[in-house]
Amino acid sequence: MSAELIIETTALVKRFGRTTALDGFDLTVTGGEVHGFLGPNGAGKSTTIRVLLGLMRATSGTARVFGLDPWSQSVTINRDIAYVPGDVSLWPNLTGGEAIDLLTSLRGGASAKRRAELIDAFEFDPRKKARTYSKGNRQKVALIAAFARPARLYILDEPSSGLDPVMESMFQRQIERVRAEGATVLLSSHILSEVEQLCDRVTIIRAGVAVESGTLADLRHLSRTGFRVAGVTDLSALRSIAGVHDARQVGDAVQFEMDAHAMSAVLAELARQGASALSAAPASLESLFLRHYGTAP
Amino acid sequence: MRSVMLLLAAQTRRDRWVLLFWIGGIGLLALAIGSAITTSFADEAERAAIVALAVANPAFLFLRGIPDGLGIGALAFFQGFSFTAVLAGLMSTFLVVRHTRADEELGRAEMLASTPLRRNAELIATLTLGVMANLALVIVMAAGYSAGGLPLGGSVVAALAVGSVGAFFVGVTAVVVQALPTGRASNGVAAALVGVAYLIRGIGDALGTPNAEATQVTASWISWLSPIGWGQATRPYSEPTLFPLLLSVGGFALLAGIALLARSRRDLGSSLVSERVGVAAAGRGGRSVLGLAWRLQRATLLGWCVGGAVLGALAGGLGPIIAEAVQDNRSLSDLIARLVPGVTADIADIFTAALLGIGGVLAAAAGVQAVLRLRTEEAEGRAELLLATPLSRVRWAGATVGVAVVSVFATCAILGLAMGIAIAQSRADMTEVARFAGAALAHAPAAIVFVTVTALAFAVIPRMTIALGWGLLVIGFVIGEFGELLQLPEWLRDVSPFHHSSAVPVEDLDGVAVLILLGIAVVVAGAALILVGRRDITA
Repeated sequence: MSAELIIETTALVKRFGRTTALDGFDLTVTGGEVHGFLGPNGAGKSTTIRVLLGLMRATSGTARVFGLDPWSQSVTINRDIAYVPGDVSLWPNLTGGEAIDLLTSLRGGASAKRRAELIDAFEFDPRKKARTYSKGNRQKVALIAAFARPARLYILDEPSSGLDPVMESMFQRQIERVRAEGATVLLSSHILSEVEQLCDRVTIIRAGVAVESGTLADLRHLSRTGFRVAGVTDLSALRSIAGVHDARQVGDAVQFEMDAHAMSAVLAELARQGASALSAAPASLESLFLRHYGTAP
Repeated sequence: MRSVMLLLAAQTRRDRWVLLFWIGGIGLLALAIGSAITTSFADEAERAAIVALAVANPAFLFLRGIPDGLGIGALAFFQGFSFTAVLAGLMSTFLVVRHTRADEELGRAEMLASTPLRRNAELIATLTLGVMANLALVIVMAAGYSAGGLPLGGSVVAALAVGSVGAFFVGVTAVVVQALPTGRASNGVAAALVGVAYLIRGIGDALGTPNAEATQVTASWISWLSPIGWGQATRPYSEPTLFPLLLSVGGFALLAGIALLARSRRDLGSSLVSERVGVAAAGRGGRSVLGLAWRLQRATLLGWCVGGAVLGALAGGLGPIIAEAVQDNRSLSDLIARLVPGVTADIADIFTAALLGIGGVLAAAAGVQAVLRLRTEEAEGRAELLLATPLSRVRWAGATVGVAVVSVFATCAILGLAMGIAIAQSRADMTEVARFAGAALAHAPAAIVFVTVTALAFAVIPRMTIALGWGLLVIGFVIGEFGELLQLPEWLRDVSPFHHSSAVPVEDLDGVAVLILLGIAVVVAGAALILVGRRDITA
């Protein structure tokens, strides 16, 4: 994987009047990676993306896309970007097909074959007027337009929030395809499972600041594993192990969470007590969110 | 009932500023007209002169209405009624669409419909709001007229006449929104119906019969086909009667009933005009930003062009008929010659020149509306989608401003052509076509200035674009139409671009003014295109 920097923001600040949307935000995305951009609503994800697309000027700090300043060189930069907004708004009196063609033509045109394949894959009817489309269908227009022409960088802002599970897997297949072709993807989301499945690295933003950045493995290391065990009787012995949290009896079973470093001690204790059944799950990013924000996303 | 009250409260709250501007603005206009007439036309001889001038000039009758004697109040009513009635109609139109079809189209109505409400509860609330807004307008206007020095009794009747037109169009629009699929189309059609009501009254009034003293005109029966004609027939300051308003009130009740019935029987979101399946791929024109700008504007432009063609053909057809009628009436033409010496221009030409001026305002409105799309595109998030591609802001905004300028020329040209063809037929002289098409285009430069100023507003204060675009146009129109009457200072009247258009064929074309207007337009447009690249794209 090349170490070429595709996106780099340093101490990015964006204020709207008295509210501060970005408050010294740092983001680094290198070539060829699928980068998850996680955060709750209102954390500053869309503002960051708008700065990267040259739609907004940062109050201070620097942003670079392909090494260029997006505010002054957006036209050059956007030649190599495919963008899917979170809330796709289309021209009510244009059909979906017309909107796709307009957007791809502005980027330089798409192959008719790829377009047809995508329309087929997303089970999309391009002949209807946009005002009759549901949220998911409007999103399909933007997705088809984005994937119909190859780009160096795909910026996707909560792209699958309106898609059903079948279409979501279709979307994930497209991400895999462009990743295989060497493109870079910035995928903003608050759907954690999506990020866990697709992304190489993740940046978590909260209140305009990056609170965590790294590979999923890096972040899991900071995180915990959830256990559910049957046949354990001595709760207090478990609780006395450093790194075990929130141990409690739930019906016949015992549940607790564990820091990674406590693994051997916990397994030894479970073996000593003669646990009869065990299920363990790597802590999801949900629990990361819980730790960072005190609330689920 | 309680839920309807809640909806009404919510709708009122949503509209509080918009309605304040509409009602306050119309009230101020009433005050200004009232006080201008009482102070500047205190002398009956002066009133006799201006009324005779109007009687002699059917363009006046067409645009303003019929004079109803020499009283101060009667003169004020004659000068201001039609225009304020149109404003009341438009206020009511936009009010109804905003809370009905527009909400339905954007999916807001769905949330409300999921609550335990009867199906037409929202429409009941909107109809109530419409009636209340017009009642408020009646109170404010009556206060405005009487504060301006006009008798209170007549002022109340005059204000009721205006409010009745508003109420009638609340009913009309309530029916229109049942039939059409989008807020935009509903606004267009309902506003066009207001225009039709104005035109029908204009025709009826222009064909009216003046009395021998040239102090009064009796409208022809055609004016009785228009709700604005009914309002005018109340004759508030001479022989006031409220009977004609039974027609508007009855019309409102009937239309409201139809709308309520239709709403309670149809599905949410359904309309008479259903959505057809379109093409699966864009044509060549649909693949560029200029093609998009054209595509978005073409249906609306067609509407403006049809309006221009109707107005032009009407004016061209009516001009000669009216001129003949005035010439046949010996006693009237003698009287005019005595009262207003120096009226030498051809009466048909005066009539058409005045209507070409209105055509200039129409063209400006077509252009301003086209530019305002930039703001809707931005506010509704579509600009973001476009500007995330390698499309520069200058090209994006430039394409729309270009289409707006084309809209101005098209509206002017079609109006002039229609007028020219109608006149050429009656005079059997085909050169008239070119003459009137040229005369109509003389109003394009001023209209283009409005287009570019709106674009500048979009570049600098995007959130205010729509209010400024329409607001400046209305102010320009009021200054142009009423500036002399209100005795506004000369410099203020000079500010309005319309003031610098040449009234061809009565006046010669002022080439310098044309060049200055076009120069201003180029500079302002340039500034707008530069500045639009220097701000954030906001939602």
